[in-house]
Amino acid sequence: MTVNESKNKSESSNSILVVENLKKTYGTGDEALKGVSFEVGGGEFVSIVGPSGAGKSTLIRCINRLVEPDSGKVLLEGTDIIKLGKGELTKTRRDIGMIFQEFNLVERLSVMENVLSGRLGYTSTLNSFLRRFSDDDISFALETLKRVGLREFADNRADELSGGQRQRVGIARAVVQRPRIILVDEPTSSLDPEISRNVMDLIEEVSVEDDMPVLINLHDVDLAKEYGERVIGLRDGEKIFDDLPEEFDEQAMNRLYRGASDEEF
Amino acid sequence: MDKWEPKSRKEKFRQRALIVFALALMVWSALAIDVQWSTMGGLSALGDVIGSFFPPDLGYVPSLLQPAWETFEMAIVGTLAAVVMAVPVALISAKNITPSKTIAYPIGRAIIVVSRSIHEIIWALIFVAALGLGPFPGTLALGFRSIGFLGKLLAEEIEGIDEGQIEAMKACGANQAQIILFAVLPQIKPRIIGLTIYRWDINFRMSTVLGIVGAGGIGYEIQSAMQRFRYSQASSVILVILVMVAIGEIVSARLREQVT
Repeated sequence: MTVNESKNKSESSNSILVVENLKKTYGTGDEALKGVSFEVGGGEFVSIVGPSGAGKSTLIRCINRLVEPDSGKVLLEGTDIIKLGKGELTKTRRDIGMIFQEFNLVERLSVMENVLSGRLGYTSTLNSFLRRFSDDDISFALETLKRVGLREFADNRADELSGGQRQRVGIARAVVQRPRIILVDEPTSSLDPEISRNVMDLIEEVSVEDDMPVLINLHDVDLAKEYGERVIGLRDGEKIFDDLPEEFDEQAMNRLYRGASDEEF
Repeated sequence: MDKWEPKSRKEKFRQRALIVFALALMVWSALAIDVQWSTMGGLSALGDVIGSFFPPDLGYVPSLLQPAWETFEMAIVGTLAAVVMAVPVALISAKNITPSKTIAYPIGRAIIVVSRSIHEIIWALIFVAALGLGPFPGTLALGFRSIGFLGKLLAEEIEGIDEGQIEAMKACGANQAQIILFAVLPQIKPRIIGLTIYRWDINFRMSTVLGIVGAGGIGYEIQSAMQRFRYSQASSVILVILVMVAIGEIVSARLREQVT
């Protein structure tokens, strides 16, 4: 099911996401992305690493256009997201799940309502006003809460949960969208090391069980190598590494974080 | 030897200059308003007037209960109507979520400024002129002034909300209305409730004087008693207002405790 049929004209026909020459310069003159290209295949777990300020977060946010890129292409199953009008963009965002560093839960709503908000794209405005969701959505949301181990917290308010639990709600919210890909922006930066691993395990589990492609920003290189099937290295808005985690050695590490080029060695 | 003083000499001088300036301003203002010391002798008459307010004509109180209740209702209806109108005004007047910075935002801000800069009494005079005497124009007057107050403070609250929650709803594919329903309103709900109670408290006190310009409520009673020189009746009206405001104070304090 993850293999896309012929819509995608680029060379690898099994890529869910194709990013081509993506550029973004902020109003402050900060060149966050200087033309980044890569692909994510079906079910693939891809880590993005790099020092802070390298453009990791901008890259992830340009894919669902929470940040507007200046130029380039973002093809999701062949559809160029950059070219979409406002209404089409809103529809297409339903196919892209997102998990945030600060969880971004609606703190004053219940855990269940937070998970169900992942279905808003499929719910009419009137029904959203009445907090009325379809039976399918409700049973899927409950099932997903069970899956992330929070079924008994369904009626708790989100702000009563611990950090790790909140991030699980964030994951459940992304999963109930039934997306084609999940974007993850530094999911563990606000969490303890041990909780971080639980959260990473859960994301990996979703990726494997649902054959879900995951594109994830991580500042922790060890986690990125351990969980990633592929590692992309960003520095100063440029991709300088894109290979298997085994290939991400000391030298690659130096190039990425210390700015040392090969010639200097 | 090292010395340390909490304030430098320059600062001390500046402080003293400021005090002198404030005193000068007071004197100048007193001269400008042309205080007529000669008529101060008439102050002894004030004693007579105040004396004639006592004792209050308590037999008059039962006939005041209906207008007192009307005052209470005016405050409730005026405040609730204002909240319903103020929320959309706040939504277009908050920089972070306004649908358009060039059209909607200035309209929202204009509504707030007009509403706030015209006093309840003036609103009441306008509505009484347009609609005649009674509690309805008074209620409208309370509502129109409250829209600006509530709209301004709610817009400020919206500008301070956690944008991450909005981002998350956007990322799910929620439309603008759904973003407001799920990410904005839950964040400002406690403030809406708190401000509504606070404004009701203000409106309740304000509605006791609206009757003076014919806009319903208990204020009309004080006006008519004074005009007929029935000072003992006027003092019982003041007594009733005092009790009403005290009750209002207690009720709103209790309600606010419930919210936080």
